[in-house]
Amino acid sequence: MTVTIAAPQAVSAEKDKDPALIRWLIFIRDRGIFVLWAVLLIAFSIWASPYFASLDNGILIANAAALTAIFAAGIAVGIICGALDLSIPGTAALAGCTCGWLITHGTPTGLAILVALVLGGFVGLINGLISLRGFNPIIVTIGTLSVMSGAAAGIAGGYTISGLDSLVFMGTDRFAGLPAPVWITAALFALLTVFLTRTRDGIRLMAVGGNPEAVRRSGIHADRYKVLGFVISGFCAALGGLVTTALVTEANPAANVSIIFNALTAVALAGVSLAGGRGSLPRVLVGALILGTISNALTIKGVSPYWATATTGLLLLGSLALEKWVSTSVSRRLVQSASASVHTGTR
Amino acid sequence: MADNALELRNIDMHYGYVRALDGIDIAVRQGEVLGLLGDNGAGKSTLLKVMSGAHQPTSGEIRVHGAEKTFGSPADATHSGIQMVYQDLALVDAQDIATNLNLGREILRRGPLGWLGFVDHKAQRRRSTAELEKLGVRTAAVTRPVEMLSGGQRQVVALARGATRVNGEQSGILLLDEPTAALGYEQTQQVQSLIRRLADQGVACVLVTHNLPLAMSVCDRIAVLNRGRKVADIPVAETENDHLVGWITGARASMFATASEAS
Repeated sequence: MTVTIAAPQAVSAEKDKDPALIRWLIFIRDRGIFVLWAVLLIAFSIWASPYFASLDNGILIANAAALTAIFAAGIAVGIICGALDLSIPGTAALAGCTCGWLITHGTPTGLAILVALVLGGFVGLINGLISLRGFNPIIVTIGTLSVMSGAAAGIAGGYTISGLDSLVFMGTDRFAGLPAPVWITAALFALLTVFLTRTRDGIRLMAVGGNPEAVRRSGIHADRYKVLGFVISGFCAALGGLVTTALVTEANPAANVSIIFNALTAVALAGVSLAGGRGSLPRVLVGALILGTISNALTIKGVSPYWATATTGLLLLGSLALEKWVSTSVSRRLVQSASASVHTGTR
Repeated sequence: MADNALELRNIDMHYGYVRALDGIDIAVRQGEVLGLLGDNGAGKSTLLKVMSGAHQPTSGEIRVHGAEKTFGSPADATHSGIQMVYQDLALVDAQDIATNLNLGREILRRGPLGWLGFVDHKAQRRRSTAELEKLGVRTAAVTRPVEMLSGGQRQVVALARGATRVNGEQSGILLLDEPTAALGYEQTQQVQSLIRRLADQGVACVLVTHNLPLAMSVCDRIAVLNRGRKVADIPVAETENDHLVGWITGARASMFATASEAS
């Protein structure tokens, strides 16, 4: 009836550290993409010397990656929370056109931007509320994608809204030497990273993506956090749409679906599992930067841009293989150390 | 008895024409481990679901510390100090142990950052480490993601999550559904000692299991269900394996044979 195993007082003497090898493997899994980017930067610096390794080129890469990164942030938050949001291009087009229409009809620029961003969040809210009814989020967001791009075309009257010069401060203007989109991207990622890793709501949002049942049983309204994920995703989409509009000072009502695939590549490269619940935004940012770095270096060397696309694809497949290898190694090591602990008494 | 932590009186449960539970009286005291045995379909899980508020009985009453309660949902049961550890552990794999244990009762930072909802990770880790130590379990560093734990360690974390939400001082009640079903021998021993320690700290435990040796070694008292009826309710010290098997299979006559059945 009584069991005498693992006396409580023996517990406190244990050191709370994982074996070195496991920590190393976890490091590769969590930080591997940073290492990959560093390797790429060094390799390209040598290969495409002297044009690649300059401050100006660095800014160029960052600026080119900024837009992909903003949309990737939206996709990533959606996936982390457990839903792939495909309505992002539609939301982006709608936000751009709404902002453009408001500005050409005499609304102050600041207010027009605010309205567009709120509208993006509202689209996310609608997506979320529909998905909660038990419909597949992918289909729901494909539906809203069509609705949004139709609405954008309706607002714009079928043509691009041009002459939005008051938006250049978030497009081609530079502040302290850096283009505005780089600042916006940096701020967005800093904000979202802190939110997801440091705040209660962010942590719960990630937990909902991982296992909604666990969250529900902890007495939390899991559904609210699902909707919150969509709202953030819609907000990012609207922000990306505004930056796109600002870069060309024109609002284009046509939803550009290819941005999803660029963003998804960055997200997948960052090791954000499509199953949800895991992923980190700094890695997504680096994923977008890697895409920008590769196409930049290949352009400098005069290689056809088609090869940039192909290289990116290969890299993506390679990163999948690496992740698989790391996770199987970790679990194998853990099984070993777990069975070892039975006999050494370090349970 | 006055010191019953959880008491069910004359619980009937019908699914259509199927009588899943038939006049069940059962009680568990503070600091006691009650084993619930029975063959598949005997009504163990149904009874546990009635206790956890997942099912509402057709008739009968539920008393928690002597006060009659009606559970409309699991949340009501949780509110009364009843925690259930499910067979599917429902842990967040990608998050670490500390985050899993603190989900839903996060510690916020002091000051303005706390008002913004910032979580105090250090304090959470300290609390989780302390709680696990109090339970006398050593799983792994609390910063280890759950996906990197073995099956037994996960089970311990799931148990600990339930256990840290009930405790002896607050007269908690812990319901366990097959906690060792997926575990090896060594891990079963660990879970077993954890259940025992919880009971020693004053938590009332109800344990549903198929594992007879486990029930014999960890429980204070064992109740056997057969086709929705309680056929035995006996302290472990006064029974033996063969008797229990007899009650489970129906080969042995019920301890509570009614007059009509006896005739």
